[in-house]
Amino acid sequence: MTYFKLSLRNARRQARDYLVYFVTMVLAAALIFAFNALAVSGEVRTLAARSENLSLMIVLASLAVVCVFGWLAVYSTRFMLSRRSRELGIYLLSGLTGRQVARLFFLENLAVGAAALILGAGLGGLLYQVMRAVVMAMFAQPYHFALELSLPALGRTALYFALIYLFALGRSRRRIRKMRIYDLIYFERQNEGAVLQKGKMRRLVFGASLVLGAAGTCLLMRWNLYIALAGAFCAILALFGFFISFASGVPAFFDRRPARKYRGQNLLIFRSLTAKLASMGVLMAVLSVIFTATLISEGSSSVLYGIMRGRTAEAACFDLYIGIEGEEQDPGPYLAYIGENIPVEQEWLYAVYLSGSRRIQEYLGDMYYNYSYDSDPVLRWSDYAALRALAGYPAAESPGPGEALIHCMTYVEEPLRNYQGTLLVGQTALAPGGIYTEHLSQSYGTVNGRGYILVVPDEAADGLPVHHMAYAAQTARPVTAEQYEALSGLAGAERDRQEDPSGSVFVLSKAYEEAEVAAQALMGCFPLYYLALALMMTAVTILTIQQLGETERFRRQFVLLRKLGMDRREMARTLGRQFALFYTLPAVPAVLIAGFFIVHLAMMPEPGVMVGWNHPAVIVMISLGAFFLIYAVYILLAYTSLKRNVLPDHDLK
Amino acid sequence: MLQVQNIEKYYGNKNNVTKALDRVSFDVADGEFLAIMGASGSGKTTLLNCISTIDTVSAGEIRMDGVNIADLSDDALAKFRRERLGFVFQDFNLLDTLTVEENIGLALSLNHTDAKTVQERVREVAGKLSIADILAKFPYQISGGQKQRTACARAIAAGQSLLLADEPTGALDSKASKNLLEIMSEMNRDMGATILMVTHDAYSASYAGRVLFLKDGRVFNELLRGDRGRSVFYHEILDVLAALGGDVSDVL
Repeated sequence: MTYFKLSLRNARRQARDYLVYFVTMVLAAALIFAFNALAVSGEVRTLAARSENLSLMIVLASLAVVCVFGWLAVYSTRFMLSRRSRELGIYLLSGLTGRQVARLFFLENLAVGAAALILGAGLGGLLYQVMRAVVMAMFAQPYHFALELSLPALGRTALYFALIYLFALGRSRRRIRKMRIYDLIYFERQNEGAVLQKGKMRRLVFGASLVLGAAGTCLLMRWNLYIALAGAFCAILALFGFFISFASGVPAFFDRRPARKYRGQNLLIFRSLTAKLASMGVLMAVLSVIFTATLISEGSSSVLYGIMRGRTAEAACFDLYIGIEGEEQDPGPYLAYIGENIPVEQEWLYAVYLSGSRRIQEYLGDMYYNYSYDSDPVLRWSDYAALRALAGYPAAESPGPGEALIHCMTYVEEPLRNYQGTLLVGQTALAPGGIYTEHLSQSYGTVNGRGYILVVPDEAADGLPVHHMAYAAQTARPVTAEQYEALSGLAGAERDRQEDPSGSVFVLSKAYEEAEVAAQALMGCFPLYYLALALMMTAVTILTIQQLGETERFRRQFVLLRKLGMDRREMARTLGRQFALFYTLPAVPAVLIAGFFIVHLAMMPEPGVMVGWNHPAVIVMISLGAFFLIYAVYILLAYTSLKRNVLPDHDLK
Repeated sequence: MLQVQNIEKYYGNKNNVTKALDRVSFDVADGEFLAIMGASGSGKTTLLNCISTIDTVSAGEIRMDGVNIADLSDDALAKFRRERLGFVFQDFNLLDTLTVEENIGLALSLNHTDAKTVQERVREVAGKLSIADILAKFPYQISGGQKQRTACARAIAAGQSLLLADEPTGALDSKASKNLLEIMSEMNRDMGATILMVTHDAYSASYAGRVLFLKDGRVFNELLRGDRGRSVFYHEILDVLAALGGDVSDVL
């Protein structure tokens, strides 16, 4: 048998024994391939012409992902080395040199890596199709399934994989060559001890870690790079302090409370936990930091996408909108261009007036975001009704005599419902009537008010000063980028002609806005999700490898417990609790820190954007949901495997 | 063949030194079957580890055919282990992924011996150790006694001249132990293997031609079997153990 054959056989065993690691490396290859295929795809590049940095962002994210998976490979090979120390010792005893054993291990891992790369590239091809479908949907383009092998993406994936494996194997090669036979053969006899032995020091570190954790989370929420970095540093220190002191503190806690120790299955659960934590305090802290980073990446990405989507949903409710402010307010040139170039299904030309009173602005006070009207903006009822029909909303109830409706964004709905005063429009006082909150382009630019607009009977608007003219249309086909640029060009020329260029013309196209969101999401959110997935998979794989590495010890423990009279159901419950505790510990601080951070981040944009599906609470729930879904899959796999291997099939008769 | 000269072995650090071996000296002649006995902690496994190059000595020399093994380079040590030493452990230490045949032939194949020669040699050794019919099986499919015979076969398959055995019967029942010891005797007698066996079991030691007794890291006594029967030798060993004090209970 040659080295190669022996390595291949060991590789097969490695893939079987460390299935979770192998599956993760296959998924890693799939992930790297799919994202890089997206970055090099000519089709996506054409669509996302405005995401000119997409390729660079994917390369940068890929480098970060290579570091993350590189660390996983280093950790896993080191773990395997320690678990197989006796086997390696036998190779040395059989007369192999350290160099030869290192080569054997290298070939074995190379075979595993190559298998993961090949399987991953295949799976990545399918994943790429899923991502392509998402991108096509984002750009409102039809999707057709087309199985293709992207050679540049395959080349990049192979390069990144080579980096991951060469780094990991370089480390293990040095380690193997330095190993002594004695250490290998008797590795299992080595004891593991608590990091912090002294109770006083432990309590001090524990207390300090809680304070640092709270301080770090607060600093992280400050919108300043340096302060946020200091916050991240504090949070990381806090996690290390917490896990090191907690790991050493659990035995002391139970030793002082024997009644609790011997209650139920506490003794078994706490001893299993402390045995793991004693040697894993630092690792648990690292994993918790990774989980925090995962949730922050995922949450930031969702918030970013939410902001863009929220803004666009409000702003781009018509296929085409032009707001004409300034000296002449002449829609002629725009209408002429539209008439010649854009097939329009429905259109409406109208004016937005000023009421001459600031009652509502003053009533809303601080809630009112960045108003740009000298007084409360006003729409005629007939214009409003036409706009609603244009946007496809159900007809509103017309204001009664002496009454005005309010159309507003959701964030001011409640205070406006509570408004008790009258609305002053010109010299006429009107009573507030119904309130409507559908999207009506009220967020930014020269649009239908800012946050709210009063809708008055047509005659009440007579004689009011016009703030700007507006044009809204639904088109037969989406407005193209060229048409949008042409209209913007007309607006620029108009502005140049004016003596006072402060009054601007504002052009807004739904297709252009949505393409902009898609392009930004592709460039900003995709790489963040990519990184988050890599971080998550790495951390949870390490946790699972650690847990499954204990299979033999658990099996021996449960064989003994069965002999001592514990029934199977009780054993399953004990195992379940051990499992739950082990997987919960690193996730709890991560959820707390990242949860606060995401909520804070989601509350940063202007009011009215993060509502509905973009509400901070919804984003946190979705981020946590996605996180725990992946977590649950790994936990379920590990638990099923461990339960099958360690629990007896039936009770002793 | 083997000269152990005044070797010492210390463990621990400056404040807490444990002396595992204290000026131990003896020779092993070519073709000899030597047993080393002693209670737990007497230093017998440490001695075997030092001879087998698993561990290093703190002082003294171990010479194999006149060469001090401490002077060998890493590559020369690997070659030395490959060609000269065979190991049998209490817990077998077979590789789970390899069949019995592959386990036995491992050292030979790693020596780049051609496949035909490996197979012939494996079958020859397996035949002598009565495991020819289980060559295609994996370690988890065979009994403890068969595993240990596989380990013995592996230890001599590549033509190694010194077989080092650490409690080889420790994990076997009495029938399998007896069978293994008889096979080891045959290997020594018919195949010319030099055997150095560490054991705390007087019955196992009675199969050897000479027994060295260790106590607290020192050679305490030495017994030669000569022409005496195994049963007589066994009782003499028990007498020495009784003289060692408190250790008879370990072996009865």
